[in-house]
Amino acid sequence: MDTLKILCSKTHEYALETDSNTYLIGLTDYAIEQLGDIVFLELPEVGSTFNKGDMFATVESVKAASEIYMPISGTVTEINEEILTSPELLNEYQDEKNWLIKVDFVGDNEEFLDLMDYDTYREEVE
Amino acid sequence: MLKETVLHNNHVELGAKMVDFAGWHMPVQYSSIIEEHKNVRQNVGLFDVSHMGEIFISGKDSIKFLQKIVPQNIENLFDSKAVYCQLTNENGGIIDDLIIYKLKDEKYLAIVNASRVDTDINWFIRNSLDFDVYIDNQSHNYSLIALQGPKSDDVLKNLGYETEQDFFTIREVLIKNIPVMLSKTGYTGENGYEILLKNKFAKEMWNLLLQAGKDFSILPIGLGARDTLRLEAALPLYGNDLSEETTPIEAGLSWTVPKDKTAAYNGKDVILNQISSGTQKKVIGIKMITRVVPRHEQEVYFNNEKVGEVTSGSFAPSINCSIALCNILNKPEISVGSTVQVLIRDKFYDAVVVKRPFINKRNSNKENKE
Repeated sequence: MDTLKILCSKTHEYALETDSNTYLIGLTDYAIEQLGDIVFLELPEVGSTFNKGDMFATVESVKAASEIYMPISGTVTEINEEILTSPELLNEYQDEKNWLIKVDFVGDNEEFLDLMDYDTYREEVE
Repeated sequence: MLKETVLHNNHVELGAKMVDFAGWHMPVQYSSIIEEHKNVRQNVGLFDVSHMGEIFISGKDSIKFLQKIVPQNIENLFDSKAVYCQLTNENGGIIDDLIIYKLKDEKYLAIVNASRVDTDINWFIRNSLDFDVYIDNQSHNYSLIALQGPKSDDVLKNLGYETEQDFFTIREVLIKNIPVMLSKTGYTGENGYEILLKNKFAKEMWNLLLQAGKDFSILPIGLGARDTLRLEAALPLYGNDLSEETTPIEAGLSWTVPKDKTAAYNGKDVILNQISSGTQKKVIGIKMITRVVPRHEQEVYFNNEKVGEVTSGSFAPSINCSIALCNILNKPEISVGSTVQVLIRDKFYDAVVVKRPFINKRNSNKENKE
């Protein structure tokens, strides 16, 4: 993954800007490593809108279930059907193919203040 | 402060993720739970289960004492024979589940759960007062290494040890000149051994087995895969599926309780009554329709009525779906083929009641060959 461009939350989600106002939302590599073998994923429907900090998805590994929170506010425009069908791919994909949902950003720019660049995030969690 | 087994550094060096389990710092996984699980079903795996307790029982009243504390019949065990038992209280509730080995006359060994060693010892002592019996907790002096999987015999053969040994027997043998007690038992549903030995030999034996197993793709296996393996085999886990509030009959273990044992034992009235008149509760195995994972204590519903809860649940790597053991009301209309629902994060998910164990050894072999 092009870690230079991602912004990470303390709760281990990332936002990656792909187009003006459009972001891919996913789980950080650190989160996936901690979860271990992922076997189940629930994603929201296209069209639903979430505020920053809202729970929007659930992931289950063999060991445990985890909730996934929005790093920014957004309206879902697309979900990653490939990952939804085969969530174990999250353990394989090391690149941006591991995104979960695509959103149109609907918040204000202050929402980015507590997000970290990848290197800062890795220092924070390790 | 967490306790460490003699093999603790070996696990760290092998890159294990370590967790707190029953007061012990234990490896939960080395690579991936699914990969480790499949390797035990297809090849062979090595487990450090040294956290488990070893209690030796000796003295001329050994049989009388053991007969009092478990519903199983200990009287007719021949030397080297093992039997799966439950330690029951006066109400028939399960204090622990354990394996009792007859080593020789007036000398027995009980292998018990790590989380229950202290409770068990207290219970043993309380129940031993009228008997000429010596109870010796040797848990801190012994290590226990499990070698499990269809290629277990090949690994031992590679170490120069070749033998036919019956299931649920134990032998004192030398493997590469190391004295061990080799027990043909396990917690995976596979062929395999549990190797009991003094702490000072544990590192050498662990390394010998890993080395000898290389030809057979051996992997070290963490507690994560140990749990998924035992669940597929529908083997109960104390604290999840068994507790002091459950009798062996309610826990679906009637097959382990003889009806004709003449000796008195703790909880006998309750247990015999449940055998003849039935129980309020029963155990079922379920298979989820989607891969959503049922977990301990989630509620189970049938026709919109809450009927019980999940006692153990997980994704099952060998069958590629999610499964659970549930303790539910003993309704005859809930049987193999029935549809029930599990309440997971405020949503109902369908599941089908299936036969236990969830895996059939012969079938899983067939699948592997395809």
